[in-house]
Amino acid sequence: MAKSHIKSLNFADFLKAGEKRENIIAKAPAKPVPPTSSYRANRIASALHPERQSLIVSKIDEIADGVKSIHLVGNVKKGTEKVAYFSAGQYLVLFLDINGAKITRPYSISSSPKQALDGEYVLTIKRVNGGLASNFILDTFEVGTEVEASAPEGEFTYEPLRDAKNVVALAGGSGITPFLSLAKAIENGDEDCSLTLIYGARTEKEILFKDTFDRIADTCNKVNVIYVLSDERNDKYENGFITADLISKYAPEGDYSVFICGPQAMYDFVDKELAKLNLRKKFIRHETFGEYRNPQKDADYPYGGISEVKITAIIRDEKYEITASTNDTILNSLEKNGIAVPSRCRSGVCGWCHSKLVDGTVYIPKSVDGRRLADYDYGYIHPCCSFPLSDVTLIASVSK
Amino acid sequence: MDRHYDVIVAGGGNGGLVAAATTAKAGLKTLLVEKHNIPGGSASSFRRGRFEFEPSLHELCSVGTKEKPKEVYKIFDELGVNIDWRYEYNTFRAIVTGENGFDVKLRAGVENFCDDMEKAVPGCRESVKNFFDLAKKDAAALEYIYKMKGKPNPLTMVFKHADFMRTACHSVEDVEIALGMPEKARDILNTYWCYLGIPTDDLNAMHYISMVSSYVEDGAAMPYKRSHELSLGLEKAITDNGGEVWYNSEVSEFLYDNGRCVGVALTDGTKLYAKEVISNIIPHNVYSMSDNKNVPERELKLANARNFGITFVTIYLGLDCTKEELGIEDYTVFKSTYANPREQYNHRHDKPVGAYYVVNCLNEVIPDCSPEGTCMLFFTIPLYGNELPEDLTAENYKRYKNDVAKRYIEDYEKVMGIDISSHVEEIAVATPVTFARFLGTPDGEIYGYDNRNWDNVVMRANYEKTDFSVPGLTYCGGHASRGDGYSSAYITGEAAGKAVVRKLKGGN
Ligand SMILES: Cc1cc2nc3c(=O)[nH]c(=O)nc-3n(C[C@H](O)[C@H](O)[C@H](O)COP(=O)(O)OP(=O)(O)OC[C@H]3O[C@@H](n4cnc5c(N)ncnc54)[C@H](O)[C@@H]3O)c2cc1C
Ligand code: FES
Repeated sequence: MAKSHIKSLNFADFLKAGEKRENIIAKAPAKPVPPTSSYRANRIASALHPERQSLIVSKIDEIADGVKSIHLVGNVKKGTEKVAYFSAGQYLVLFLDINGAKITRPYSISSSPKQALDGEYVLTIKRVNGGLASNFILDTFEVGTEVEASAPEGEFTYEPLRDAKNVVALAGGSGITPFLSLAKAIENGDEDCSLTLIYGARTEKEILFKDTFDRIADTCNKVNVIYVLSDERNDKYENGFITADLISKYAPEGDYSVFICGPQAMYDFVDKELAKLNLRKKFIRHETFGEYRNPQKDADYPYGGISEVKITAIIRDEKYEITASTNDTILNSLEKNGIAVPSRCRSGVCGWCHSKLVDGTVYIPKSVDGRRLADYDYGYIHPCCSFPLSDVTLIASVSK
Repeated sequence: MDRHYDVIVAGGGNGGLVAAATTAKAGLKTLLVEKHNIPGGSASSFRRGRFEFEPSLHELCSVGTKEKPKEVYKIFDELGVNIDWRYEYNTFRAIVTGENGFDVKLRAGVENFCDDMEKAVPGCRESVKNFFDLAKKDAAALEYIYKMKGKPNPLTMVFKHADFMRTACHSVEDVEIALGMPEKARDILNTYWCYLGIPTDDLNAMHYISMVSSYVEDGAAMPYKRSHELSLGLEKAITDNGGEVWYNSEVSEFLYDNGRCVGVALTDGTKLYAKEVISNIIPHNVYSMSDNKNVPERELKLANARNFGITFVTIYLGLDCTKEELGIEDYTVFKSTYANPREQYNHRHDKPVGAYYVVNCLNEVIPDCSPEGTCMLFFTIPLYGNELPEDLTAENYKRYKNDVAKRYIEDYEKVMGIDISSHVEEIAVATPVTFARFLGTPDGEIYGYDNRNWDNVVMRANYEKTDFSVPGLTYCGGHASRGDGYSSAYITGEAAGKAVVRKLKGGN
């Protein structure tokens, strides 16, 4: 049995430890510490995730009727010398001031990550009837227009340790943009997967970037594109909708990951079709839906018969009071009244808009409720997908 | 508009939250400013798909229960914060695959732990028991020193607390060798070194003994709803007591008047003044946000004498199978190639995987922490921020993360004989770059300053007033006097809060 010799240790060293420490400190230089931004981890962090990017429109391409590609470069005068690198599938948030309304909108980056290294992003924006931002951008942006943007955000990216090597992408309408970026990234060797793109459009004329996709598909054996027209019979293409049969027809052998991006109606249809294929959940990925519309149509909407409410927003030590429609998200109502609050995805998932509801009730559609568990206990909500049911008071943060 | 407060707390991590709640509760007009949009710093959570991940907490020590509350429990209780604690009554399983390897699992509770150690290393029981007895002696000595307000009678110390003095000035290994502990028993018992970030031959014995015994005596606790539950609870304690919390509010400058810290400025130019400022921001960052003339020379020397503590690469996995299907039965598994902590430390960068890492499965403690049919794994790989590859850039960063994650996942699959890769439904990888982004710390440190023995916690506590002498400025958090860890940050937060309350309101 080992014997305890604790007493063999000198206790008097304890009395000298302070002196020893003082000596070490005394020998160190009294020079100023390096700025935090100079450490490698911090440098890479701010290169990838700048707080804001000041951009300037360098070129505008008319892609189709009501669709433009806006080229953006760093606004050096405002401090953005290099635009942040990103992964294909990420989006930028644009900060817009439209006649006093302070709004944000997310747009997937349609250009390749490589182009960002050369200093450029491209956003491809489609006009939405009655839409605030899309019309403003398409009608007023010109070469030289300055715009503030977020860092690249979002999780709609190919992840080699998670996704199957073969990606089947289902795109509809302006939902094609992230896949244009992905196709280019594969072509450039920046992503290592193969892509089978099934692209639904109403008519041949509405297919965006057809030449580019055809060229990539011709030259890069990892990219394959199938066009599906819903409103036009044309023997060159598949016709109808993106059905389970169609997916099976073009999907590669073995496991594949399905990536879906498009309008809400397409998600509704495609999700039902995918259910027939019995894919594991991990093999199905949706880009976020964007703004939730018409909450009243939901079966669990607790209709209270009021259409107008008062929203009180406390931001730091300022208090704002506005009237709002119960049909609008709290985020939308605040923005329309010129009150800037944080947001990114506007779809309930990113958590940027995290705010505390201190009074009143809201409706949060289950399908877009991306809160953390503890948020429920402490009254936290995501105003981007919360609809007021009564007068409400919330504590929000300043916009960032 | 300039604004005036009694207390401004800069930074809402674990330390800052408790500090602000403490001063607010004492009736002081308190404002906490935090750069991120949620509270907690490392203590939060994040969602991917149908999973909500715990970003940092492995196990919280010094919690205890309602019947037997320890420091952390008491802090939350006193602030009126209810936490749904869940407990783990195994300390860890340690698997060493190389020479003199072993695979042992140790239960919590001193007697259980000693029994399990004896089974693994026959003949070591008494030395291990003596190790835990030292914890009691240390606690008694600290209580005495506290009672004497930090000025103990030297004779009483020598006659009554000599063993404390021994553990307080020797390394863990020195003390264990003196206790006659066999090498293998030391290697097993010292598995926890990475929670303090320094291998046990240069780690203060008193510090380590007190940490290990708090895990062993009470088991470890976890909040049911990830650390976000802890932080939102503390935030509520601040606001319920009339305090304010501002998010997205990054401090860019510390303001001084005649050498006294009088407030902070935010990046948007807002100036905030207070009678007392509590910094949950690491001194290094405070100095670089202060006019140099206001930083005492000794503080700069101390800062330059120190290294940042260890930080991590962490891999968060949401799997589409249960832990039972995988055959996982442990909450915490330490896997290493070498048995000895110094070897584990020295071979951190061996390829394909470093000599030492930890894997946690939260479902073991909280079965329903992820949806039915799924489970979550959390890998922790220690490294220093300045050990990131030199050619790491924004462009190749994602590839680096995936490369590291792949190697460690594959290693663990081999060690455990399980298939993880094909079940990955969600994955996130954090590195010092991630921590630099979210916490703003230099080189993404998360442990404050290196706990090397010359700068051990006993010394830090003894010299606190000399180390940080700027009037009006008090520090709390992992970089403060108690070293890293949730419990230490909470305890320094409470101490900083109470110190400020005493300054502004008098009394004890
Ligand atoms: C992650 C992400 C990426 C995106 N990428 C792109 C992109 O690359 N290119 C692109 O063009 N857009 C993209 N969007 C959509 C974009 O962010 C805007 O939502 C779009 O430009 C419309 O904004 P708006 O301000 O013009 O319309 P809003 O002002 O938001 O809408 C005004 C009105 O239009 C009607 N409306 C608008 N959309 C719908 C709808 N879906 N269903 C029913 N009614 C509707 C409503 O009645 C509403 O009252 C993306 C969205 C997300 C979430
Ligand atoms: S803006 Fe993303 S959750 Fe609200």
